[in-house]
Amino acid sequence: MLKYIIRRLIQSIPTLLGITILSYLLMSLAPGGPARALTFGNQRVPPQEVARLEARLGLSDPFIIQYLRWLTGDDWMRWDSDGDGVSDGSFLIPLDADSDGVPEPPGTRRGIIRGDFGQSFFERRDVMRIIGERVPATLELGAASLLVGLIIGLPIGIVAAVRKGGAFDNFTRIMAVVFNALPVFWLGLILILVFGVLLKNATGGPFLPMGGRCPTTLTGCPPLHQRLHFLILPTFVLATGGIAGYSRYMRASMLDVINQDYIRTARSKGLTERNVWFKHGARNALIPLATFLGPSITGLLSGAAITETIFSWPGLGRTAVSAVTQQDYPVVMAVVIIAAIATVIGYILSDILYALIDPRIRFS
Amino acid sequence: MRHFARVLSVGLVAALLTIVALAQTPGEGGIIIEGNFGGDPANLNPLLLNDTASARVAGFLFPGLIGLNPDTGNFEEGREDALVYDWEISEDGLTYTFKMRTDWTWSDGTPITSKDYQYSWDAIKSGKLQSPLNFIATDIIESVETPDDETIVVTFKNLSCTALSDASLPLVPSHIMPADFAEINTLEYNLNPTVTGGVFKFLELRPGEQVALVANQDYKGALDGVMPTGFIYKVVPDQTVLIEQFLAGETNVIDGAPVNRRSDLRANPDVNLYDFPGNAWDYLALNYADPKNPQNGLDENGNLIDQGHHPIFGDVRVRQAIALALNVDDIIKGAVFGEGTRMNGTLVPASWAYADDLPPIEHDPEAAIALLEEAGWIDHDNNPATPRIAQGALYAPDGTEFSFVLLTNEGNTRRGAVGTIVQSELAEIGIRVDFQAIDFNTLLEIMDSQEFDAFILGWRNGFPDDPDQTSLFTSSGDVVGSGNNNVSYNNPRVNELMEKARIYPGCDPVERAKIYAEIQAIFQEELPYIPLYVINGQYGARNTVEGFDPRPSLLYWNVDTWTVRAP
Repeated sequence: MLKYIIRRLIQSIPTLLGITILSYLLMSLAPGGPARALTFGNQRVPPQEVARLEARLGLSDPFIIQYLRWLTGDDWMRWDSDGDGVSDGSFLIPLDADSDGVPEPPGTRRGIIRGDFGQSFFERRDVMRIIGERVPATLELGAASLLVGLIIGLPIGIVAAVRKGGAFDNFTRIMAVVFNALPVFWLGLILILVFGVLLKNATGGPFLPMGGRCPTTLTGCPPLHQRLHFLILPTFVLATGGIAGYSRYMRASMLDVINQDYIRTARSKGLTERNVWFKHGARNALIPLATFLGPSITGLLSGAAITETIFSWPGLGRTAVSAVTQQDYPVVMAVVIIAAIATVIGYILSDILYALIDPRIRFS
Repeated sequence: MRHFARVLSVGLVAALLTIVALAQTPGEGGIIIEGNFGGDPANLNPLLLNDTASARVAGFLFPGLIGLNPDTGNFEEGREDALVYDWEISEDGLTYTFKMRTDWTWSDGTPITSKDYQYSWDAIKSGKLQSPLNFIATDIIESVETPDDETIVVTFKNLSCTALSDASLPLVPSHIMPADFAEINTLEYNLNPTVTGGVFKFLELRPGEQVALVANQDYKGALDGVMPTGFIYKVVPDQTVLIEQFLAGETNVIDGAPVNRRSDLRANPDVNLYDFPGNAWDYLALNYADPKNPQNGLDENGNLIDQGHHPIFGDVRVRQAIALALNVDDIIKGAVFGEGTRMNGTLVPASWAYADDLPPIEHDPEAAIALLEEAGWIDHDNNPATPRIAQGALYAPDGTEFSFVLLTNEGNTRRGAVGTIVQSELAEIGIRVDFQAIDFNTLLEIMDSQEFDAFILGWRNGFPDDPDQTSLFTSSGDVVGSGNNNVSYNNPRVNELMEKARIYPGCDPVERAKIYAEIQAIFQEELPYIPLYVINGQYGARNTVEGFDPRPSLLYWNVDTWTVRAP
């Protein structure tokens, strides 16, 4: 099994490398650029300053150099050999990029293959720190919605299969289609309108918070159990897709299982319907679910861009959205790479889960 | 009589008790909460900050150097809420000597001195900062000297009437700043400014949620102490949620309510509003030069380069015809729900240099048609629904259709509406407009490349604002790839007047305003931009907020006196 995991991990390296090249290429082909975004709207910044800024940020280097620097760092591209703090040697990139007569400072980046995602153009902080600050919020919302999706979706699927063709089945089928079709941005806004604007609580304030993760106070963010009401709306919006998906999947899987021989055997042994459905049926029907549970769990990391944005949820998805609009390449790329790694690991995880749950499957 | 005296004394005691009960002590006046739809502050270090959200927060955290008169918007000596109380200008106008108060301190008790100013200057001058202020050192200020703790001597490279504004470098607590200026770019301090010197102190920044500040009772600029307990700048996703949260009482101050919802605010009895002519304006830009061969305005020796002519807009009569054909009042109604003010030129009406006596161009489609005919753009088939064609036009070969591409940035409903109205109004005089809303960055790239016909965009002026528009409308700003004069407007007379007003000896506003009026009169003839409207500004506070008394572009000038009652 260990051998299998290692082999899968090694196989994923070319995939990830391909993703880095493709995503970096797409990013750099996008029109405009961070230097212009940084200075736009300021009438007083002279044109030559924009050019200097571009040179200093390394944006005027050829694509391949920019990509290499991002992948492998720039500490080997511009260095200070005599330790006086001034760079005195360079490889592939100019010593004095902005041509002001003073060499640029020595490179300090180690590149993503050495775990360094660089610095945000806008916040001028390490990207990993920015992401680290956002991960807890994203996990909180993601876990809550996955949990709600499973807790509501699976029983609905089972019951719909048990009462196949009945009123409940038809109702939940329509519900699943509606939930799947509803755009989250629309649902989010409608819920904000209903629970934030139309419905009032006892003090005349909104019935549920219109957004945010913590109350607006000077005393810091309280622990999760004191601010569960902030989770309700965004969790529901994010869970709708899950509820729809899991319930349909579970129903189909249940109906599949129910025609198996061992179910007939169970029935013929005289087991109660309840025992047949839940002990023998549901447990086996859950096995195929493992295939997408893996990616779902690791997918929590990449955040939910739209829901987080609508509900001012301070997670990774919203960071990615604002980074894209600001053309903050290092942040965008970090989010893309993390999502890519999460997906690859998610699929490996689901393969492993599958084998663990289903004794018929063996690694080879 | 005795009865009356008793009633009077009881009344007086009751009144006194009420006053005592109502009087707040500094720092206990409640929390001011403003919604922020512009995203997290990216950097609170005033040497580096470059976004609106950061500017709002840093404005509270750092002391003001040169005071502003809130009523006039001009710099003023002797103000209690600024560090500098007096300045002198040398005879040649190049050297300013500022005198600073000596009793102000940073929040850790260290005195604020001219050394802090010197540090800021040295840091900017080093060129190691990733700062929007770098151009001050490369292009504006020659040197800074601080002979003692209360004196700052600033020498400028050239005469400039923006000297006071340029000299207003931000102060940072130099005693905790690194000696190697390059380290400033990545300081922990930049998003956790522990030592500050403004009306509020930094409490915490929760990314994506809020920035919280608390009253700084050591702030010397507030004569009676800082009343509010604190200030929270709360992140909201967009303007819709911004106004909903304000109406629901989740925030108590609003800046930038969407124009289509302002009537809701006006109808709300629980809200106090302040409307003012704003500083953000939209315009229609028509390319003067040949879009197939973009050229810089000046060569290396400063001589004008021939720009060629745009086949349609190179003829000034065509530009005038378009200006006459547009009904800007309709555009204001359609695009900003009437929450805008017409402009007669490229200066905002709030500017001291705005030429009040210059009437805006009146809507006159008949005159527009006459001008087009005169310019050789004829309605060959007597059908206004089809575009005119060139016959003897100045720069377009005969038979050319009068049609052009008008661009704006996608996602901006206001400019989208402007474009649609412009399209339909120009169609009425036989001009076909291919209106396209495109990705903002793509638009910037096309604008910079100068390969466009026309676009609709806007500017947001700074505050306090100088009417100088050298970068927008003179040849030095016509730089392919990055210059702001992307319509390639090159008029030697305007170049000369703009420079004259920019460095006018003594900077007398009355004399400068006369020059700007002359420039605006030329602009109305030659129309480098067709100015549309300035969007009216509006501040609002719930009526639980007392002390709310803004001035144009100065929402929080008296924030130290504000109190917020519980609703």
